Amino acid sequence: MKTETAPEASAAPPAAEPRPPTRALPVWANPRLGLLIVIAVLVALFSSLTPAFLDPRLTLAPLQADISVYAVVGLAQLAVLSLGHMNMAVGRMAALSTFAMGLAYDRLGVPLLVGLLVGLAVGAGIGALAGLLIAKTGVNSFVVTLALDFGLLGLVTILYTWATGGVSFAVQPSGLSALRFDTFADYCMGEVCGPRIPLVVPIAVAAALGVGLLFRRARLGREILMTGSNPVAAELSGIPTHRRVVAAHALSGLLAALAGFLLAANNGAFSATIGESFLLPSFLAPVLGGTLLAGGAVSVLGTALGATLTQVIYKGLNLLQFSLEELKLYIGLVLLAALSLDRLRAVLAERRAVSPS
Amino acid sequence: MSVVLAAEKLVKTFPGVRALDEATLTVTAGSVHALLGENGAGKSTLIKILTGVYRPDGGQLRLPGPDGQPRTVQLGNPQDAQRAGIGVVHQERNLIPAFSVAENICLQHLPRRAGLVDRAALRTEARRCLELLDLDLDPDLPVSRLSVAQLQLVEIAKALSADSTVLLLDEPTASLTNDEADRLYGIVRRLSERGHATVLVSHKLEEVFAIADTVTVLRDGRSVAEAEPLAEHSREEIVDLMVGRAYQQVHLAARAVAADVEPALALDHVATAAGHHDVSLTVRPGEIVGLYGLVGAGRSELAKALLGLDRITTGEVRVHGRPARIRDVGDALHRYRIGYVTENRKEEGLFLDQTVARNTAVTVWRRLARLGLVRDRSERTLVDEYADRLGIRLASPDQHAGQLSGGNQQKVSLAKWLAADCDVLIIDEPTVGIDVRTKGAFHELIAGLAARGMAILLISSDLPEMVTLADRIAVMREFAIVGELDNDHDYERMSQSVIRFIHDGQGVVA
Repeated sequence: MKTETAPEASAAPPAAEPRPPTRALPVWANPRLGLLIVIAVLVALFSSLTPAFLDPRLTLAPLQADISVYAVVGLAQLAVLSLGHMNMAVGRMAALSTFAMGLAYDRLGVPLLVGLLVGLAVGAGIGALAGLLIAKTGVNSFVVTLALDFGLLGLVTILYTWATGGVSFAVQPSGLSALRFDTFADYCMGEVCGPRIPLVVPIAVAAALGVGLLFRRARLGREILMTGSNPVAAELSGIPTHRRVVAAHALSGLLAALAGFLLAANNGAFSATIGESFLLPSFLAPVLGGTLLAGGAVSVLGTALGATLTQVIYKGLNLLQFSLEELKLYIGLVLLAALSLDRLRAVLAERRAVSPS
Repeated sequence: MSVVLAAEKLVKTFPGVRALDEATLTVTAGSVHALLGENGAGKSTLIKILTGVYRPDGGQLRLPGPDGQPRTVQLGNPQDAQRAGIGVVHQERNLIPAFSVAENICLQHLPRRAGLVDRAALRTEARRCLELLDLDLDPDLPVSRLSVAQLQLVEIAKALSADSTVLLLDEPTASLTNDEADRLYGIVRRLSERGHATVLVSHKLEEVFAIADTVTVLRDGRSVAEAEPLAEHSREEIVDLMVGRAYQQVHLAARAVAADVEPALALDHVATAAGHHDVSLTVRPGEIVGLYGLVGAGRSELAKALLGLDRITTGEVRVHGRPARIRDVGDALHRYRIGYVTENRKEEGLFLDQTVARNTAVTVWRRLARLGLVRDRSERTLVDEYADRLGIRLASPDQHAGQLSGGNQQKVSLAKWLAADCDVLIIDEPTVGIDVRTKGAFHELIAGLAARGMAILLISSDLPEMVTLADRIAVMREFAIVGELDNDHDYERMSQSVIRFIHDGQGVVA
């Protein structure tokens, strides 16, 4: 591979940034800026408390790999939050998709990329199925995906037992270990080597760019947002709302599959436990980043920053040798504080920008 | 007469706008006080100050204290306003559908006993409020089972439940039929006999002259008439005060419609799953056909069935002479070039939390997109063009539609169909809740569209509007067309004929 400068994990796409709601909003009301400041403060804090936090190989590279996984997990949820929907099956969709990838590598011996595509197709398919059920029955997305999650939980276990006799594939397709261990610093052109950024990072960045482009510029993404904003008006404006619902859920499944693949690459195994830790972070990243649960507006950059914040907290507390229980407690507290601050700022901004009617 | 509410020299500024500029409102006990003004004159801001939503930047509010002497008060929030005796009925319904009538009425001060709701006291209190209105309603009925008119009355009962001395009614009859409105007027009169003061905000001058006795007119944030007896003013004077110039009835240029042209839209003995039967109607290019009827006659339902939102069971729809099977709005737009400007702009027409640019371009992204991507520049060009053509006042195309005034919102919901380049446009109640001047502009606009060859089916409950605009008027009653008239623009004669159709409900006259 040739040496090239990979984009920074945090250098999220400018295209992903939705336009601010009004020109009147002050700069400090931008939730992305607040996140960036909180992240910077925490990084400074953690590095002063434990210099190991800045260790490029032991801390920073794995941190970037984790951020990549959870940013894509957040995007998977963002895809349906755009409609004001939820995907409670985001983890299990990832599990089913990575099973398909593992099976393809194990039984068919396909190259890394082909297996990935198979898994993405499975993810998109199961997401589309969820979307179809929601659109056709009119049942709440929360209920449909929760039921689907339950069903998939059983299915994934059965499939792994059937295919492997255990809970993971022993297979290691060629290229997977490079994705797992290598950074661009391992690829040099003469004396010049790349930065110490894991190879999975550009995959996540590409996904973020793609999703940003979709919701910012593409007719499809905009029509999904309009459907989320006001489904009745969307239908009466000639938008095929059912098809847009299916598309958003298919995208959610596809991104869940991609996140599953990135996690499998980081872990070095295609196992049944993939996706178990996805559900809560999938909501945290977009919501911290300013995406509304109500639908109609998304922020891809915010989602990337939200994922970064949660992983920085996690990594920092971990290095400071907090126990797993303490870790969960403190992460919960920090996130509550971050969300309250965010709400406070939004309220203040609204007061300022109140418009005459 | 004692003053029950005095707003003195109120000032309220928003970034870039002085919404109220020393506005004054003085209301006396037992009066029905009309608060008039065009959209953007400051009525809503004034009401929001009176109900504690906004705090004024200047001026003061004086209300009688317990001793009857006026005292300056600060209303920090809506609860303060309620405690001060100001009850409000907003234009939007604010009831909780699953709760009972009694619970809704007493929502802000549920009677409690030992920490639980005292159901017996709740019912007694609700009955008392309902009796103030001579309203015979079961307090235990869930609100979701009530008609629109009943909801309105429950809202009033709710506003009165806190012993309000002043009742603010914001466009109270916008969604009521004439009979229901008459009943409401009766209630308002009775309340005033009992000493309650009512502040009536309305765009309907007939209504104002029917029940109000005093009037305050706002223009550009100032009171241009302050608590003047209404009897001393004619309608024309009031409109002059609101508009700030002599208002002239729009006389639209006569349009000639070729009689031998194939109709752009033709309905032939159509029946629908919504309950329409035997509906026949034609609209030729360049023609405005009015579909008149009372609220609930089935006009909007017909429009929606035409667009495929309800099934057409028998009969035939033809577009430019060819039989049409319209599956949905997208189909209507892209295959048959039919657009529908909805009646209900906030719920059905607009995306309030989206930009004006997106609201306008939503119907044309298909055309603007290259390889599935839409360029902001092409979208902006389009918005600029229509903002210019329709006179939409925008701070920026990135403004949210929800931030615009009612008239501008209505223009945006029309703009998206003009941008979509339709041959046939169904326009449903285009000027409800819109001020006089904008209404005139709308009429000119619609006539202009027809003059350029568009076929327009105009649904309206506003008979003067019908007589001003339509070439022919079809009258609908109980989901059937009961008559059709050529419009000779003589208001007296036309209104008599139309009303006869609605009462007799039979006979087709050419």
